[in-house]
Amino acid sequence: MNKLVSALTELPALARKLLLFAGEHRVLVFYGEMGTGKTTFIKALCKELGVAATVSSPTFSIVNEYEYPQGLVYHFDFYRLKDQSEAFDMGYEEYFYSGEYCFIEWPEKIPDLIPDQVVRVDLELAANNGRVITAKIQGRDINKDIVSNV
Amino acid sequence: MATILAIESSCDETSASICKDGKILSNIIATQAVHEKYGGVVPELASRAHQQNIIPVVVEAILAAKVSKKDIEAVAFTRGPGLLGSLLVGTSFAKGFALALNVPLIEINHMHAHILAHFIDDPKPAFPFLCLTVSGGHTQIILVKDYFDIEIVGETTDDAAGEAFDKTAKILGLPYPGGPLVDKQARLGNPHAFNFPEPQIPGLNFSFSGLKTSILYFVRDHKKLDPDFVQNNMTDICASVQYRIVTILLNKLKKAAKQYNISHVAIAGGVSANSGLRDLLTETAAKENWQIYIPAFEYCTDNAAMIAIAGYYKYIHGDFVGQDVSPLARMDF
Repeated sequence: MNKLVSALTELPALARKLLLFAGEHRVLVFYGEMGTGKTTFIKALCKELGVAATVSSPTFSIVNEYEYPQGLVYHFDFYRLKDQSEAFDMGYEEYFYSGEYCFIEWPEKIPDLIPDQVVRVDLELAANNGRVITAKIQGRDINKDIVSNV
Repeated sequence: MATILAIESSCDETSASICKDGKILSNIIATQAVHEKYGGVVPELASRAHQQNIIPVVVEAILAAKVSKKDIEAVAFTRGPGLLGSLLVGTSFAKGFALALNVPLIEINHMHAHILAHFIDDPKPAFPFLCLTVSGGHTQIILVKDYFDIEIVGETTDDAAGEAFDKTAKILGLPYPGGPLVDKQARLGNPHAFNFPEPQIPGLNFSFSGLKTSILYFVRDHKKLDPDFVQNNMTDICASVQYRIVTILLNKLKKAAKQYNISHVAIAGGVSANSGLRDLLTETAAKENWQIYIPAFEYCTDNAAMIAIAGYYKYIHGDFVGQDVSPLARMDF
């Protein structure tokens, strides 16, 4: 089950739902082709958490760090990694296992380094330039879906 | 008066520079040549690469400047913003070096240094001026009132301009990062062949994410009718996209110049090498009566010479930091 998003104005409510759904999980991985709105959705999540700074794309910097009232958000983009070993070199474990929120774009670039339990979010282009956003807890037997209404 | 060693390691490049009394004597960036001399490979990214590079580039910078370690009177380093692991290498090295020589340490903000790079060579901009810093990671309009009195008046709310170029290249099937390839194709095409929308973003901020999506839709829709559309129209698509990115930048810059009543305009960052940006900036300058400043390309991309010149101005002010300083992934001006 999944959610069809046809307008940007729907993102804040969906971001709230996803954070509730994620619960104690702090690592969220975002799958989707370029232009499906991964950064845009993460901006909405950061806003829901109360990040005051401008959230911009970390493609070049690999990771951006933001403060919110209860802690930190690490926003990753592994797009330009040529090899997983480059994530080792940047000390990815320090971030992923910090207990802070990690929002990860292009996790397919680091398939072996994704923690055992993460929230997997898939974004796909839909008709009329909408997006289908799906979320599930990955690494458990149960696959819970985030929303049922379309 | 002052010989300064400067270290830059905020992202991919490891660089060291020696500056004497505001004059750059050397500016070494870890390259194949440095590696051939000292062994090793050129890694793409990461702190381990900086660890391998830092001593060779510092040695090379000192040798190329024809100074001795004993001549160094201060060590300037990039404290942030950047990748924490990468910054740590430069910061730790700078601290150790300064401690060993018993000379002061100077912390530098990387983005501030991009602006002060305009003070390396003549003609130097007159205050106040506006600086458009455009690179793969940044897009900012900065109001520069004095060396250390600066204010961000506009910035990107999503992708950087350089990223817009690189991702366009990717959508068109060119290698990533392909910004310079888009520029090369664009020179051969018609910038008005296709019309991409200009985002309506309030104030002086930028957005390039929507443009990326519209290019994606444009390519998808045209490919449905003609599978070879991109190959057959590569130069025109590149020219049209480049024209849009550059007009987005210039239109905001014009707005900023009017708002602050400023006629001295500078550009910095790797994207300032883009021919479309340079051409339109020159054209706009003629119409708007601007005096424009473009640093030499080696000082536009990430380099230690800009850290050295920023360090020089801080040295004059006696603006030093202690050994307890640590790097900052995010660092405001």
